[in-house]
Amino acid sequence: MFSILTLLLATLANTTQGAPANFWLPKQASTVAQGVDFTFFVITWICYVFFFGITAALIIFMIKYRRKGHDITVQGPTHNTPLEIAWTVIPLLLVVVIFVVGMRGYLDLREAPEDSYDVQVTGQKWSWTFQHPKYGATQVAELTVPVNTPVRLLMTSNDVLHSVWIPDFRVKMDLVPGRYTSLWFEAIAVGNYNLNCAEYCGKDHSKMFATVRVVPVDDFEPMMIKLASEYEDMSVGELPAYAVNRLYNRCQSCHSLDGTTGTGPSFKGLWDRVKDGDVDFTSGEKLSNLLGESTTYEIPENYIRSSIVNPQGHIVQGYLGSMPSFQGQLKDKQITAIIEMFKHLDELTDAEGNITVNPDGTPRQ
Amino acid sequence: MTTLTTSNPPVTDNYLNHTKGIKSWLFTLDHKRIGVMYLVCVLLAFLLAGVFAMLIRFQLLTPEGTFMTQDQYNQAFTVHGAIMVFLVIIPAVPAALGNFVLPIMLGAKDVAFPKLNLFSWWLWIFGLVFFLIALGSGGIDTGWTFYTPYSIDKASSMGGVIPALIGAFILGFSSIFTGMNFIVTIHRLRPKGMTWFRMPLFLWATYATAIIQVLATPVIGITLLLLVVERTVGIGIFDPAMGGDPVLYQHFFWFYSHPAVYIMILPAMGVVSELISVHSHRHIFGYKFIAYSSIAIAMFGFLVWGHHMFTSGQSALMNIIFSLITFSVSIPSAVKIFNWLATLYKGSISLNTPMIYGLSFIFIFSIGGLTGLHLATLATDVHLHDSYFVVAHFHYVMMGSALIGFLGGIHHWWPKMTGKMYHENWGRFSAILVFIGFNVTFFSQFMMGSKGMPRRYATYTEMPEFQVYHIWSTAGSVILALGFVICAIYLIQSIFNGKKAPANPWGGRSLEWQCPSPPPWDNFAEQPEVGDCYDYSVLEWNEDEQGYVWKKDAVHPGE
Repeated sequence: MFSILTLLLATLANTTQGAPANFWLPKQASTVAQGVDFTFFVITWICYVFFFGITAALIIFMIKYRRKGHDITVQGPTHNTPLEIAWTVIPLLLVVVIFVVGMRGYLDLREAPEDSYDVQVTGQKWSWTFQHPKYGATQVAELTVPVNTPVRLLMTSNDVLHSVWIPDFRVKMDLVPGRYTSLWFEAIAVGNYNLNCAEYCGKDHSKMFATVRVVPVDDFEPMMIKLASEYEDMSVGELPAYAVNRLYNRCQSCHSLDGTTGTGPSFKGLWDRVKDGDVDFTSGEKLSNLLGESTTYEIPENYIRSSIVNPQGHIVQGYLGSMPSFQGQLKDKQITAIIEMFKHLDELTDAEGNITVNPDGTPRQ
Repeated sequence: MTTLTTSNPPVTDNYLNHTKGIKSWLFTLDHKRIGVMYLVCVLLAFLLAGVFAMLIRFQLLTPEGTFMTQDQYNQAFTVHGAIMVFLVIIPAVPAALGNFVLPIMLGAKDVAFPKLNLFSWWLWIFGLVFFLIALGSGGIDTGWTFYTPYSIDKASSMGGVIPALIGAFILGFSSIFTGMNFIVTIHRLRPKGMTWFRMPLFLWATYATAIIQVLATPVIGITLLLLVVERTVGIGIFDPAMGGDPVLYQHFFWFYSHPAVYIMILPAMGVVSELISVHSHRHIFGYKFIAYSSIAIAMFGFLVWGHHMFTSGQSALMNIIFSLITFSVSIPSAVKIFNWLATLYKGSISLNTPMIYGLSFIFIFSIGGLTGLHLATLATDVHLHDSYFVVAHFHYVMMGSALIGFLGGIHHWWPKMTGKMYHENWGRFSAILVFIGFNVTFFSQFMMGSKGMPRRYATYTEMPEFQVYHIWSTAGSVILALGFVICAIYLIQSIFNGKKAPANPWGGRSLEWQCPSPPPWDNFAEQPEVGDCYDYSVLEWNEDEQGYVWKKDAVHPGE
């Protein structure tokens, strides 16, 4: 009986692996998606049956037993114990079935295969950082993974709650500061997929977005090796184009390139302001007093470095100081790259703040 | 006093004209006046929250957002949610309608503790004041859930968090006192002949609600206080930077807020039980199953809070246990639906405005309840959690069910409360608009949610494919708003020149239909005896009265 029902539902739900988007669900792009969708459609079809039954009864009774005069007394049955027990027990059995199907599907979602490829995920307001320990490579707002390979995300947050949701993979898990959580998936098709923050995290929650790039297995390793060492061999002159393309996306939710004030000051013209010491702090101090021989910052570059690794040290007038520390997340050479980016920002962007160069320094089309 | 001269016809003494002046209302101990004051306040708060809802809907017409900044949008959905939950839906049926109807249904002169009752209303006002202070002192953008650590992060979340927390804390006490009052009133003031199983089902529902209010609300009180202390002093209970646990906050919060969902829906179910039986002029089917199902929902409701945390990092075992228990709540809800349908069967159904709301409730609650199955199931919830599917689900239950039950109740008891009839055809028209508008607004949200649209998004630039659903949803919300505006107009109009209401316009049998409309100051000179409150065979239509009266040969209970 149960197996016939399962078969029937599977046919109705048309849940072959890798199915395209349908009326209810997006396309299936991971190994678990098919199972989740099967469960979804088992429940949905049970819902259809009950919903249309209830609505049909409602409409038929409404028409058939419509009141046709003021003085009609009706005497229907006031109870029927066997019937009432039946409509208590039958739904009970159905929900037990749903529970079991759902639980089995869930265990598949929770238990990552032994040989999974590990990625460390850090959420912070309002960007995603993905680190590949195996290659020493770091990605921001972009996660590259190999196809047909189980991938495990080991996740934590630097500030408030966040949540990784990849709808096409049917996976989701919160990031909690102070502990690790994990999720796993195995992508079944090469392509780009949305990764959204699903747990409200403040101002730019809706912009906390990343792209999951699923690439062929053979392409993956060379890409990671290149990504990990890309900047190491670069000369100082090549660093600005690298920084604005590879590092700036961690800053962009708060710091604009076009002069617009965001959660933090705009990067446009920042180097000139810093160089001249033309920055006021909430403490009442002025940066100009801290620059120069035998003061806090002998050269302006040191102030920027300190603002990246210890942003709470000096908070610029007019801002709340919500920036997290990037200590340990950026290599020295990457910090240098960011500083060089500030110095050459005019050459890297147009008047509207759009980036005009590629990571290798060639003009962007 | 109204014993002035002449005037034709003579105005009878009733609770509305018994004493005069604003003070005679603000400091009244009369449950009917307190009920009416609650009703007015709750509806004004609903209007305010509704304005925020419309702002939200219009912002989302385009993927980049039409007119609000991120901060403004975050504030809009927070304020909308907080007002709707704490100031509108929780007090709507119990405090506004319950206060008015419950003692009269019992044939009593008042609730057991009238002063406490007035104090509850004043606490509601203080709660509102703190919410307004929160809006004025920097706003709130934490979501109505106040999740940590965002809500304790003074650098990023807005400055109005503490006043809002205090407001919610005070409103909690308002709710607790109302619940206590109702429990004692139902235990002590039932009239002769009214055994537990002869109580109108509305009383069973309010009783079950009151139990939850008294047992669960203190937990949110303590939690909110801890949050205030954490944000101001920093004691390290929820703050991970100090060794605290933000997930602990979610447990505390949902330990109350899940049962609170039943504080919202149970009384509305009680209203619907009355509506369906009275307007189909037919004895309620399966009285005991409906009564027990209210109690079952109240009990199981305490054990399922963890299903709000399936993706929070809670252990797999805990998730499985919470999923299993969650399914148990669906059974008593289903039982109610089937019993209401069986009551309609072979009834004599008047499609009056309250009944249209009652039937809407059955339709909408079916969808709301059934989609709960997708969310109780672990494998599917992981995908649907924190998506618009959840938003649609809880609006189907909280707004489409709880609030539509409330509206049905208002229309059902409006003649009793005001002594005036509203325009029936405008009532029907507006009820149908509300039904259509509601479904258009929120059904599209199910579809975008399961396809991948996260909730609480001010913009969706990376996902422009959802725009078409948002446009549908906004269009629906305009129809919905129109329905409410029409409703407000004809209700207000009826107060000034509506037809005089008879004592029993619908043919109800419970005690409130046996005293005049509006009821006299002390309801009943002496407490009447009662029989079966769903046996309508003793009533007949009276053309002169334009209402139902007892048949001449019918025997009153106790005679």
